[in-house]
Amino acid sequence: MTQELHWEDFVPGARSELGERTLTRDEIVAFAAEWDPQPFHLDEAAAAEGPFGELAASGWQTYTVWARMFVDGVLNRAAAMGGPGMEDLRLLKPVRPGDRLRGVLEILETWPSSKRDDRGTVFFEGRLLDDADEVVMTMRGRVFIRRRG
Amino acid sequence: MPDLLHWEDFEPGQVIELGERTLTEAEIVEFAREWDPQYFHVDPEAAKRSPYGGLIASGWHTGVVWMRMYADRVLNRAAGLGGGGLHEIRWHVPTRPGDRLRGLALVVETAPTSRTPNRGKFMFRGELRNQRDELAMQLSGMGFLRRRHPAT
Repeated sequence: MTQELHWEDFVPGARSELGERTLTRDEIVAFAAEWDPQPFHLDEAAAAEGPFGELAASGWQTYTVWARMFVDGVLNRAAAMGGPGMEDLRLLKPVRPGDRLRGVLEILETWPSSKRDDRGTVFFEGRLLDDADEVVMTMRGRVFIRRRG
Repeated sequence: MPDLLHWEDFEPGQVIELGERTLTEAEIVEFAREWDPQYFHVDPEAAKRSPYGGLIASGWHTGVVWMRMYADRVLNRAAGLGGGGLHEIRWHVPTRPGDRLRGLALVVETAPTSRTPNRGKFMFRGELRNQRDELAMQLSGMGFLRRRHPAT
């Protein structure tokens, strides 16, 4: 595992593609059974009566799908030091089995740490888009990245 | 069969206990391998050399632990209509193997919705506190519930 990206390499306005993932019905049901066992995430008949009209993935799974892409594509290639959390997490369209999800990262802002001169903060927006190029999930967050100099 | 909870059953200031769960090292690693494979979440040896001094749970893992508790104790007992996401989720004190996490849901506010008379909304905060009563995770959001008595 290399850590070639440092705080200085993150530029506000930069946008990058993080790859794709398609969730199967079994993956959706297995995740929901463990973490979000509401009927409309578990069973087609219940889902037909639910808010989406069909089986849909837990919103939490859409967050973690993007989080995995972010770790693989960025954080595990960077001198990353964790972060305080996420904000403005929005679920805009239900994610159904077979929907192909494309991950996008946009850097919003970066600033040096006021307390530690060996690191800085990267403030970003993460999005998942579907095949119709519509946003299904968006969220913003911050991570601490080591400075090169 | 007890009636499902409706919007009118939630009151601002209400605190709902969601139960407790202890995370093992194996669970922490298994979750992180799939969703957040940074070294301080999946490699106990390497994690000792991290700023955290040892293996810690993914912040997302603490989020879904709370969600499972919340679904079991609140959502699956309520005439819920889903929500649209979260205002924020913050990871505070890191969660380490063996930490016992206590879940809480706090009703912050309830309000009618403007155009749908048979549902109401509520703002909530969720917390996980460890065995030292330190705040491990906090989140906030909004949900919708069916009204027992539709607005007129």
